[in-house]
Amino acid sequence: MKLEIKNVTKTFREKIAVNNFSMKLKPGECVGLIGPNGAGKSTLIKVIADIIDPQAGEVLLNGKKISKMKREIGYLPQYPNFFHWMTAKETLTFMGQLSGLQKKELTISIPEILTKVGLKGEENSKVGTFSGGMKQRLGIAQALLHKPSLIIMDEPVSALDPIGRREVLNLIEEIKKDTTILLSTHILGDAEEICERFVIIKNGTKIEDTTITELLNRNSKNKIYVEITAKDQEWIDVVKKLPFVEEIEVIGHKVKIIVENIDKNKNVILENALEHEVDIVKFEIHNDTLEEIFLKLVVGNE
Amino acid sequence: MNKFIVLLKKEFVQMLRDLKVIWLPIVFIFLGITQPIVTYYLPSILGALGGGQGITIDPSMTAQKGGEVLAATLGSQFDQLGFMILVISMMGIIQTDKANGMLAFILTRPVTVISYIAGKIVSNYLIAAFSVTIGYFVSYLYVNYLFTDVSFSHMITALLFYLVWVLFIVSFTTMISTIFNSQGIIALISIVFLIGCRIIVGLSPVIDFVNSASMSKHAMEVLISGSVNSKAIDNALVTLFWIVLILFVINYWIANKKVNHE
Ligand SMILES: Nc1ncnc2c1ncn2[C@@H]1O[C@H](COP(=O)(O)OP(=O)(O)O)[C@@H](O)[C@H]1O
Ligand SMILES: [Mg+2]
Repeated sequence: MKLEIKNVTKTFREKIAVNNFSMKLKPGECVGLIGPNGAGKSTLIKVIADIIDPQAGEVLLNGKKISKMKREIGYLPQYPNFFHWMTAKETLTFMGQLSGLQKKELTISIPEILTKVGLKGEENSKVGTFSGGMKQRLGIAQALLHKPSLIIMDEPVSALDPIGRREVLNLIEEIKKDTTILLSTHILGDAEEICERFVIIKNGTKIEDTTITELLNRNSKNKIYVEITAKDQEWIDVVKKLPFVEEIEVIGHKVKIIVENIDKNKNVILENALEHEVDIVKFEIHNDTLEEIFLKLVVGNE
Repeated sequence: MNKFIVLLKKEFVQMLRDLKVIWLPIVFIFLGITQPIVTYYLPSILGALGGGQGITIDPSMTAQKGGEVLAATLGSQFDQLGFMILVISMMGIIQTDKANGMLAFILTRPVTVISYIAGKIVSNYLIAAFSVTIGYFVSYLYVNYLFTDVSFSHMITALLFYLVWVLFIVSFTTMISTIFNSQGIIALISIVFLIGCRIIVGLSPVIDFVNSASMSKHAMEVLISGSVNSKAIDNALVTLFWIVLILFVINYWIANKKVNHE
């Protein structure tokens, strides 16, 4: 289903948690909401889940107010909590019935979903005895149980160990085929793995809405990375004087050279180095990693 | 309606698991027995202690009518220790769900706030009414055995009046539990307010008219005098009005998501 977030603003007393935030999700799209801690991800997600009312703006699912469309939403809170006296099966029965599922359907779908999230064999254990990772899985199970057409997940894998993280990522990969997904994370790698598109939020404001490929293309291929030996340090001064070199950064024996036009300039630099009989250890075109781009976006431009 | 049943069932299972369905009736049975037993044996206990020297025992005490003793069960046991235990057992009714996020979580489902509140109040009222009734009934049996008989119809009429007051207690505590976040504060406010209501009964007819605690007095009057005060019905209607108002406040508070603002 199509999700529209229109100019949502949410303040807590004088603190602005979400600031005039808008975005649209096409049906079937998977979007990662990325931002550092305190960026406003959970607040925005709670507004979408209709847990808190924004001061301004609205959230529409297929053009209808989200509060009228709860049947279509699966929500995983950042810290899922359940009634500790219920068993896993009772929890899912309870949540499933609240979503309008019949008991008959549930006797079939609950064992299925428990197997899917890796909680098989725990159906009759009390939720109070569950570890954080198990609660997370149960949280995912309840979000998927009623086959919603929009799933919103607040940091679904941040609290998991590497194995659990792997399993949950695979699970999301699987449901991605037939659901619109919005998930938040402060770890870029997680979003990168599942979602092609991601939205970066900082101090409550959307600062980027892009795809991984676009971001990589935009931010790369203007840097040359040369590693030289100690005896060739003076060559750096020669390079600095070249007209097309914009910036140079030296870290030990590594030299980062930013040039005007990488395609034209890279061979000139290489020739220049050979002319000066530089002992080249490494010569490469450097692409910023997503992590570097992300850090630049989030830490920079205050 | 369907969701209401699901929520109601969940409340009952929870009460079954934490044994509230057992201990709350036991508390009221105990309170119900206390009044007739103590009233009956106190004179002889005092007599034995005093060794029969000089202590004069008020003769009216030994010759109390059954209706008076049963009324005292309501007035001196249920309206004091009884209702404090009731309030304390319910102080977390909404507050716990707020504190652990379950209220917000439940409301992400297609569930109306009304069915959530109704599930809470109906279940808690049923267990409270059941406990009060069973305690009262045991008291009635003891009274009839130890004192003069109380007519069955008076006993039932008084119980019905009293249960209206119990419904007010349950609703009021639920409202306070919705608005405040600390169990101590919730218990304190509920107990002080409800005891206050109970204490001022009889001070002024105008206040009595709007005071739900008067229902307890009307119940006692039926038992003592054997006649129904014509104001009792009016008072019951006013109490129902208060309860509707309370439900409205709870619904407003939750539906406007005030509970999430901490
Ligand atoms: N209930 C609240 N009361 C006051 N401030 C809050 C509340 N919830 C969140 N905030 C503030 O709003 C900002 C965004 O929080 P949050 O949405 O939880 O960030 P994230 O999930 O991205 O880590 C933070 O500065 C946080 O302190
Ligand atoms: Mg968060």
